[in-house]
Amino acid sequence: MTERELDTHLVTILRELESLEYRQTSPRRVRIDVTREALPGLLELLKGRASYVHLSAISCVDWIEDNEFELVYHLWSYESNHLVSAHTRIPRETARYISVYDLYKPAAFFERDIFEMFGVYFEGSPHMEKFILTEWDGPPPMRKDFDAEAYVQETFNWQSYHPDWLKELEEEGGGVAIRPEEVRR
Amino acid sequence: MSDLSKIPIHTEKHAPEEARTNPLAGVFDELVRFAQSRSMYMLHYCTGCGAIELPPAMTSRFDMERLGIQPMVTPRQADILLVTGYVSVKTLKRIILTYEQMPSPKYVIGICSCTVNGGMYWQSYATAKKLSEYLPVDLYIAGCMPRPEAVIEGMRALMANIQSGETEPWKDYYQRYDYYLGNQQHLFGDNWQTPTDVIGQAQHYGLAGPETEGEHTRILQQYQQPLVAHKLRLK
Amino acid sequence: MRPENYQAQSHPPSNEYELFIGPNHPGIEGNYAFKLKLHGDVVLAGKADGGYLHRGFEKLMEGRLWIQNIALVPRICVPDPVPMEVTYSMAVEDLCGLEVPERAQWLRVLQLELSRIAAHLFTFGGHAATTGMYTTSYWGIADRDLILDLFEALTGGRVYHIFNIPGGTRRDVPPGFLEQVSQTLDYLESRLPDYDNLLFTNQVFITRAKDVGAMTQEQALEWGVTGPNLRATGLAFDVRRDDPYLVYEQLEFDVPTEAAGDAWARAMVRRAELKQSFRILRQVIERLPSIGGPVRAPIPNPLAWNVPAGETYARVESSKGELAYYAVSNGGDKPYRVHVRGPSSMHAVQVLEWLAEGARLEDVAQIMFSLDACPPEVDR
Ligand code: SF4
Repeated sequence: MTERELDTHLVTILRELESLEYRQTSPRRVRIDVTREALPGLLELLKGRASYVHLSAISCVDWIEDNEFELVYHLWSYESNHLVSAHTRIPRETARYISVYDLYKPAAFFERDIFEMFGVYFEGSPHMEKFILTEWDGPPPMRKDFDAEAYVQETFNWQSYHPDWLKELEEEGGGVAIRPEEVRR
Repeated sequence: MSDLSKIPIHTEKHAPEEARTNPLAGVFDELVRFAQSRSMYMLHYCTGCGAIELPPAMTSRFDMERLGIQPMVTPRQADILLVTGYVSVKTLKRIILTYEQMPSPKYVIGICSCTVNGGMYWQSYATAKKLSEYLPVDLYIAGCMPRPEAVIEGMRALMANIQSGETEPWKDYYQRYDYYLGNQQHLFGDNWQTPTDVIGQAQHYGLAGPETEGEHTRILQQYQQPLVAHKLRLK
Repeated sequence: MRPENYQAQSHPPSNEYELFIGPNHPGIEGNYAFKLKLHGDVVLAGKADGGYLHRGFEKLMEGRLWIQNIALVPRICVPDPVPMEVTYSMAVEDLCGLEVPERAQWLRVLQLELSRIAAHLFTFGGHAATTGMYTTSYWGIADRDLILDLFEALTGGRVYHIFNIPGGTRRDVPPGFLEQVSQTLDYLESRLPDYDNLLFTNQVFITRAKDVGAMTQEQALEWGVTGPNLRATGLAFDVRRDDPYLVYEQLEFDVPTEAAGDAWARAMVRRAELKQSFRILRQVIERLPSIGGPVRAPIPNPLAWNVPAGETYARVESSKGELAYYAVSNGGDKPYRVHVRGPSSMHAVQVLEWLAEGARLEDVAQIMFSLDACPPEVDR
């Protein structure tokens, strides 16, 4: 599908703005890459002038090699039936960004989720507190540098189950080929 | 009608076999156990996905009630605690609180593979792996998830156990409280405490053993504070 | 006579108090808690407390192969697991550019609609039980079991099927399966008048559910409400129709709506959706035998499957609302990041908090069930 079939409002708006790239990835999906300064303005325009009223989700990706977090805002328009994904990147050290709660109410949930899981602080978000991980005091677990398996090995024990019939089987060469200790190094 | 006051009341606990001269005493014990096994009130704590097979097991199709098993809504009146699925650390605290509130004799059934060994969440940082480290578990019903028939079969096995008087792991919680508390402290931190005075109860029931108190209960006493109401934060 | 040590109270006595509901409470769906501040029995403010079902799914998925995650995803929403498998598969297919054979697409629609019926029957039961009508929940859950039997015949599993994999489905339908589905549909359809008598035209239910937990369409749009809850406010939007996936474009169905936006309207929308699902399934039964071909596209060795780098946002209409997966690959054999957007992450947290405000205490459970909130989707 060509650009002509894209929502005309959307195209005019995207043309107006600088510092952004956009690309139609499939008939009803548009990807926008935008700098972190311009994103709130873009969302405001998309909501106010192009009927993108539904914030479907905010996703966060930890690009540890680039030392950046990527924030993706998925917006849906009930009128033109397009899904716009606005991508932006923020530095990993500061891990602070601006909340879009005043534009989109659902943002509060996703921002709190990202705050817990990645440790990104959203200024102006109403609930910057723990919700799911209230009993957790380790590092934000979704960060790539948190090794969940090592933590599990350290903290928990396993039941060992090695009954006689299994031993007999193993003597004959059957049974589990790789013992759990070897897998869970 | 015979005079009830003539029936001797057997009060001595854990009396050696020879001392049981009155044949009625054993009959009475058996009767109690029989009645106990036929009126089970279970508290099904929906800790995980296994809970979804309990409504079918309880309603018209599989109908657990015909075996005398009924759901009960409060821990104070329940006999069985069903832990239905993986146990996240946050839930585990509530399970222990619930368990300690239940009156003895009490039984714990771990439904689902996840309660045995973490199941498919063995990598997960948020779920506890071995339920029997934190609570005395009577029996496990393995499966991911066990079918309603398996749940009912497990219940029947528990009933048979109760009737024969074989298993009484709930006593283990009093006798080896230090072990269970130690594991709980390992997970929740040293300042973990519950509103129930387990040691006091153990002494009251005459179940306190050499392992009831130990290094972990000393840590508990060190941190024990008067209970204060939970602060509620509303907007 | 006042006692000697009497002191006048500095503040007047208050009728306000705080109440915890859950996590182990029969009026709460699943393992979820709610803190309420009440005045008499009117809720002044509510605060959701989640995380009891948290397993760190998104982290787990990063540590497993693309194909292994198929076994993991249905656990995210227990009452309605099929959309999870399908959406995840769709995301992987999109990343790889895999074409799904047509027959597999029809098979997926078959499962999706069966799962929707099962989930709705379960919800009716729960919703009715919160208004004290337990017969509906007994019948609804027993009737849901018929669908689980169908799943068992098709996939071998009652609740979790692990039947859809990236590229298609694992197997074809067993012989005689479509007749079995058809018979079950006939039976369920014949049960609808019973449910009407029990619940939907029952004055007790209507009185209890009308005007409870009502929201306007503007509020619903602002709060990010989706699915049947949005349609109950009068907006005819359905991902199946407006952002079509699989073969929904070739199927005929209506998008039922209600205007009131309260608990009753939400129940009625679900009831109407049940009929639409019957209609879709009948079309599938009619069309499926004429569609030949394989049920699975050839896929590379699943244990060494390097999915090309990229990102995708796959979404479907689950029985609860809009369900989406945001999947990112860096070209490896494991996902780099998967984000699950469950419909209940809105309904069970913020929407519930806002709707509970001003409601009566006895209606809180009903509002939760009428929103069809599913806590494992929130906690993941
Ligand atoms: S064993 Fe399976 S069904 Fe049971 S809680 Fe674990 S994952 Fe869920």
